[in-house]
Amino acid sequence: MIDALRFESTRIRTLRSTYWLIGLGLLITAGIAGIVAIASSDEPLDDTLIMTVLTGGGEFATFIPIFMAIIGIFAVGHEYRHGTIQPTLLAIPQRSTVLLSKIVIVLFTSAVVAIVSVAINFGVGTLFWGEAPDLTASPLNEAVPGYIVMVMIYSLLGIALAQLFRGIPAALVILLITPLLVEGLIAGLSMVPALDWLQPILKFLPFGAGQRLLAVTPYDPQGGPEFDYLDRWASGGVFAAFTVILLAVAWYLFKKRDA
Amino acid sequence: MITAEGLRKRYGSKVAVDDLSFNVRPGVVTGFLGPNGAGKSTTMRLMLDLDNGEGETRFDGRRFAEIRHPMTEIGAVLEAKSFHPTRTARNHLRMLAAGSRLPKKRADEVLEFVGLTEVRNKKPKGFSLGMAQRLGLAQALLGDPNTLILDEPANGLDPHGIHWLRDMLKALAAEGRCVLVSSHLLSEMSLMADELVVIGRGQMIFNGDVDEFVKKFTQTTVLVKSPSATQLTETLQQMGAEVEPNPEGGLLVSGADASVIGEIAHRDGIILHELATQSASLEDAFISATGASEEYVAHDVREEAASLVDGQGAHNETAGGAA
Repeated sequence: MIDALRFESTRIRTLRSTYWLIGLGLLITAGIAGIVAIASSDEPLDDTLIMTVLTGGGEFATFIPIFMAIIGIFAVGHEYRHGTIQPTLLAIPQRSTVLLSKIVIVLFTSAVVAIVSVAINFGVGTLFWGEAPDLTASPLNEAVPGYIVMVMIYSLLGIALAQLFRGIPAALVILLITPLLVEGLIAGLSMVPALDWLQPILKFLPFGAGQRLLAVTPYDPQGGPEFDYLDRWASGGVFAAFTVILLAVAWYLFKKRDA
Repeated sequence: MITAEGLRKRYGSKVAVDDLSFNVRPGVVTGFLGPNGAGKSTTMRLMLDLDNGEGETRFDGRRFAEIRHPMTEIGAVLEAKSFHPTRTARNHLRMLAAGSRLPKKRADEVLEFVGLTEVRNKKPKGFSLGMAQRLGLAQALLGDPNTLILDEPANGLDPHGIHWLRDMLKALAAEGRCVLVSSHLLSEMSLMADELVVIGRGQMIFNGDVDEFVKKFTQTTVLVKSPSATQLTETLQQMGAEVEPNPEGGLLVSGADASVIGEIAHRDGIILHELATQSASLEDAFISATGASEEYVAHDVREEAASLVDGQGAHNETAGGAA
């Protein structure tokens, strides 16, 4: 396993896309944090504002999660896109070891990136607000770790999708289309009176549930379907379970299929 | 020593590899031949556990998956461009070295060996097929393995490169390594390989010595030129030999050695201007052995041309008749 981790660590460090995805993610979220912090510099700090700055707009623009998911997609997708799965398996024939090493390295990378991003944004916010927000009080003491967990789940989902489809395009499409169109469609349909029976399942839609990991206020329908999400960690569990199920199917197929 | 036993692979109803068993001995270069679609690449993938199928392959008694660091024992390249286009050649090899517990400097050593030192820090997306093949060979040699399995390594190499590849593989085999190489370049294979595994439609056709293969699947003929060709022909036919006129002059005799023909000519006082044994080539033997196993058969150019001419003639006649 150690050798596989060294292999995967070298693999991710010798790709330019790793650096520009991380760099771009940090830059964009820091930029959003700066804009929001400047715009709100005269306003009293509240949890929503602080969380928006710390996550670089994570509630409405999931840059770091998506970019880390793309790193996860590239970790597996490049193997098939460029045929490197052959030399990889010739060096490390144990397929579970190969996949596990990718998961460990990508999860570690995404956790570090999420923490660094929050730290940068914390600095940006402090600079413009003139005071450091208190992250030890509820709900920030759970929402900030929740954000880091969400980023990690996204990166794991990237691996699962790329391994399932053995390529990059299909994984990217599913990653971007599902939360935007599929979950939006189901939520919209549940507002049709004849289809209101859909509402109980809304809290189990994975991407929506995943967003609750960084929530600092209760769910507000704002004209949308009225239902209650599970609590923060249970909602995170829904997103994680969805990802783990996909990963399990992908893992099984990886062991069963031809390389 | 590579021992493949009962390799079998099926894609739906199509059997790609059908109960193949063969040995690859150390110390010699073994050529792996077969027409397009014969199952050569699939067989190699089965041997290396890249494809799931039946049968098993043992490398010095062990299965591929049982070897702790396979690259240090088996070097294989099945596709020429199995690398990320923007990861440098050096980093590609360093990555594989990291997974095989090999020192980083080994990447530079093999790059120098295959002649890619100058481009080691370049992105391989601009590599020609020949350069990609060299990088593949560097990858195969990274762990200084005892066994090499190479699928079409000469594709894209220039004549100097092919010469270098041949010398290198023969030298590596002479060191006692197992070398299994597939190639469509039969002239090259005849210079490189000592033994052959020949398959057709996934089935074994031959596994053994190159000379034995040529003897088994071709007939040796003797070219005879004599001013008394008619008399000699009658004598040879009486003793059971087959005699045909050679399009370029003289007679082609099969079923009698040159020594026998010479003795008969001497006995009957027949003057001979030329007496030469004509050995068949590996290509002749390959075509003879695999002719019935071709997966994709194109039209014969001469027959096609003839039929086109006939068709044109018939068309002209019809046109003439109509007129």
